[in-house]
Amino acid sequence: MSDAERDFAAVAAQVEPEARRLMARYPAGRERSALLPILHEFQNVEGWVSPEAMALCAQWLGEPLSVVESTASFYTLFHRRPVGRYMLQPCRNLSCSINGAGAIMARFRKQLGIGHLQTTDDGLFSYEEAECLAACDRAPCMQVNLQFVYDLTEEKVDAMLAAMRAGTYDVAPLPQNAKPGKDWSVAQETGRKSAGARGVSDPNDPGGFGDASGLSMTRRLAERPYPIEVRPTKERLVADGAARLAAPPSLPSEH
Amino acid sequence: MPVVKVLTDGIGEFDLRDIAVYRERGGYVQLRRALTELTPADVADITSKSGLRGRGGAGFPTGRKWSFLPNNGRPRYMVCNCDEAEPGTFKDHMLLEETPHQVLEGILLGTYAIGSHHAFIYIRGEFERGYHIFMQALADARAAGFVGEKLFGTGYSVEVTVQRGAGAYICGEETALLNSLEGRRGEPRLKPPFPAVKGLYGEPTVVNNVETLAFLPHLLARGAEWFAKVGPERSPGYKIVSVSGHVKAPGNYEVPLGTPLRELLALAGGPRDGRRIVAIQPGGGSSACLFEEHLDLGYDFDTMAANGTMLGSGAVVFFDDSTDFVVAAQALVRFYAHESCGQCTPCREGGHWLEVTLERILNGGGLDSDIDMLVAVSHQMTGINLCPLGDSIEPFLASVVKRFESQFRSYVRSPQREAIPV
Repeated sequence: MSDAERDFAAVAAQVEPEARRLMARYPAGRERSALLPILHEFQNVEGWVSPEAMALCAQWLGEPLSVVESTASFYTLFHRRPVGRYMLQPCRNLSCSINGAGAIMARFRKQLGIGHLQTTDDGLFSYEEAECLAACDRAPCMQVNLQFVYDLTEEKVDAMLAAMRAGTYDVAPLPQNAKPGKDWSVAQETGRKSAGARGVSDPNDPGGFGDASGLSMTRRLAERPYPIEVRPTKERLVADGAARLAAPPSLPSEH
Repeated sequence: MPVVKVLTDGIGEFDLRDIAVYRERGGYVQLRRALTELTPADVADITSKSGLRGRGGAGFPTGRKWSFLPNNGRPRYMVCNCDEAEPGTFKDHMLLEETPHQVLEGILLGTYAIGSHHAFIYIRGEFERGYHIFMQALADARAAGFVGEKLFGTGYSVEVTVQRGAGAYICGEETALLNSLEGRRGEPRLKPPFPAVKGLYGEPTVVNNVETLAFLPHLLARGAEWFAKVGPERSPGYKIVSVSGHVKAPGNYEVPLGTPLRELLALAGGPRDGRRIVAIQPGGGSSACLFEEHLDLGYDFDTMAANGTMLGSGAVVFFDDSTDFVVAAQALVRFYAHESCGQCTPCREGGHWLEVTLERILNGGGLDSDIDMLVAVSHQMTGINLCPLGDSIEPFLASVVKRFESQFRSYVRSPQREAIPV
């Protein structure tokens, strides 16, 4: 048995009783509802959701591994690669961005030398620009390992990072049982959700050049500006519906 | 000033997380009364008569929502939606962390009213602290005999299950929330069937917002009439409004519905010194902007709807004359692009390309036609998706492009402009 396997056996032994308890909370036959809570348990112990953890979840719940992986990959709080000891997530949404979040994010990027969805070489910090954290009254705000930090200033950022480096920061670091790579978001590696959008608009290189399809689209737009016809939705749908009624689509003939 | 304290009563003065403090202030009295003296129909009746409308965003009358449950003898579920993530909203976050027992009592009353024996609360994954606070509250309430088997010597038993989300705005949409609660990807379902007919595990289910349910103990204590006579006739009652943006004292303010926006602004300390409010987003990230000439409008469901926007989740963001609306628009569009679940093509593709186009405009590489394209694409995304997320970009984007077009134009007409491919 290798070291990694032995480690995971200990993790599994630690999580299993809690997982069984979680599964019993739901109506009989609905144990799959415990999937998210069990993944949270694994992440609390390991600092991330490892492939072994997902495989074990699948076994406990009696579901295919693909089901567990597809579910885990949907949620941004589940890290399917190892991350740093401090997960730094400043908010970039509306109320924060009109109250100076831009300067805060720039400060983090400069002080850490990394960008969105990246981890520092020493494995201490992971950085993600997060969406609205529901603390807009204390903007700009952020979470450190899911603990809120409010009313951020650049000085506060510097002091926070210094305390974390010195090991005196009052939020407990995340567990870390494997060395993180530079990128921890799998979505970032596989491209965006959009068709043909791979490598387009890298969040760490805004305004950077993308693929050729974007270039040809721009040329087309420059030559032939987009034909604009904006009607209110309801009116548009009524008009579309009327057109459809006037000329019903022909049904395929029977053979 | 119309400051009222109903749901927010005692917050900041007492430690309402302590069950003893909560009970001293009248907590769980209404639960005992409902279970021992009232039928579920009585509780539902009071809720209907109060005119309480859902506080999560859609504003649907709560009593009517409950009445859609079919009498088919199947198990029923009550689900409390605490997946608060609408940009600008932070009221449920406060209620969960400051008054967990009030939330729990509301859930128990709602569960009783719809004749269910199993309630769920789905707490946003980021609210880790709130989750632990609520777990403690639930354990205390269970120990005190408010949750469990045969409560207060009646035959009524109820179980409450707390579920944590894991980072997905879309799980605030009720059918996506149900999928997530079932251990699936949080993708919205096709409606109909609505959750009242086929919800959690395919059984009749009611999904209510935290604030909606938290009103129930107060409705029972003070009667439907007390609530119904406050504010406009068709959207009565009180509302916690999350005020943020360019104001001196952002925060949660509880007011009667119908309070003018100008008074909300004054409650929140007014605009910053030397600044003037030029725009207001009255109902969370998905609502269209109002402008300074609208400051005297009453803040309620129907007035907002009549003015082309919505009350939504009750998040009011004030913008003063220092705002760069191109940056603001980008922050919101990026959010919707990021949070699209990817099921429906218009939302997945439209959101992404709008984000990239706005980025290009901000970086000085935009074209004049981009600005019209923003409006056209966001409009074409509307009304053709499974859930309202894809419809949420147009209201804000179109309203600020129309009003502050010169700001957008100034980006694309800078002299050093050279088109950057997206």
